[in-house]
Amino acid sequence: MKKLWILSACLAGIATTPATAQSAPGPVTGTVTVGGNVAARCLFTTASEVITIPELSDLATGGITGKLAGSTVNGQTKKLAGWCNGSASTMTVQATALTNSVATPNSSFDNRVDYTATAVTSTGSAFDSSIGALSAGSGSNVAIFTGDIDVTLSAASSPNGGVLVAGAYTGQVDVTLSPAL
Amino acid sequence: MKRHIISAILLGSLVFAAPAFAQSNSDTETVQIGGNVAPLCVLGAPSATLIDLGQLVNLSGNRVGKLAALGDRSVTMPGSFCNYANSKLTVDASALVAVDTSAPQNGFARAVNYTATAGGWASANALATTAAAAGGASPSASASGGTQATPKLNDVTLTLSGYSVPSDLLLVAGGYSGQVVITLGPAAVVN
Repeated sequence: MKKLWILSACLAGIATTPATAQSAPGPVTGTVTVGGNVAARCLFTTASEVITIPELSDLATGGITGKLAGSTVNGQTKKLAGWCNGSASTMTVQATALTNSVATPNSSFDNRVDYTATAVTSTGSAFDSSIGALSAGSGSNVAIFTGDIDVTLSAASSPNGGVLVAGAYTGQVDVTLSPAL
Repeated sequence: MKRHIISAILLGSLVFAAPAFAQSNSDTETVQIGGNVAPLCVLGAPSATLIDLGQLVNLSGNRVGKLAALGDRSVTMPGSFCNYANSKLTVDASALVAVDTSAPQNGFARAVNYTATAGGWASANALATTAAAAGGASPSASASGGTQATPKLNDVTLTLSGYSVPSDLLLVAGGYSGQVVITLGPAAVVN
């Protein structure tokens, strides 16, 4: 009698089986998350440029005082090209005065020509004057851009307003693009 | 042993990865600027382009008809300069000679000599004394001053002095003219 009861229980178990078989094995989803990064970066795409001024004194403009003719410097311009891919990108300019290695005998003469250099992109501009200690001007946000960077000289002057000592003068403008990380 | 191998691989990865992190994301480009100033000497505009000595002879007294006492005359050229080292002043003077080119009679002369001095430049002035003959021949004289070793800006002054007539002869009547040319330039001309 007892044996039959167990069997009955087993049968009852069988009877419940169809309910479990109704949900067949379905698709399952696993996820692989893909992350990438692009560093904020700035890059120039042109070679360096050169501005050549044949005559700095007013010899070329007819005044012949031997002093700086500002018009020979002001408005001189060259194009650089580059890009920045970050919205916080900045540009700075450092202007190095035009100087001549020949010493001046007194304050009637100058062997230095100062100027302001301005760099302009499609998104902003920065400038620096060569007057005073050599250091870059304030940074300016240029955000995301690509294209020309116009470098233009202006506000030329000599320290004493004197006669320029003869010879070769050299200077330079450094333009720096930074992603401002 | 296996642990060591893993360590080596990690180190290797770090070493090779380092240059990538060291790269700067900033960039700088340069515009070189070159200029030039020509070697230049300029004489300022002269305070006078004509020196009129007026009457050259005494009109009375024991030297009547002979050279009068003429005072020194000066012309200033302000703001003269050379913007380079080693420059000098040169004076080319020509005696006062009668406009009338006729040969003078005995006892007469048609030339007045003088000394032209250009100063205000180097320590040694340019000083030329004419020595024309009584008939006016050989009126020219030239001289250079010292070398100015550095660029200089100053007033250049020309002074006429020391007038004389060959053998202190009587001067023929008429107009007289001469000239002084002042040159400011390099002490040594490179051909």
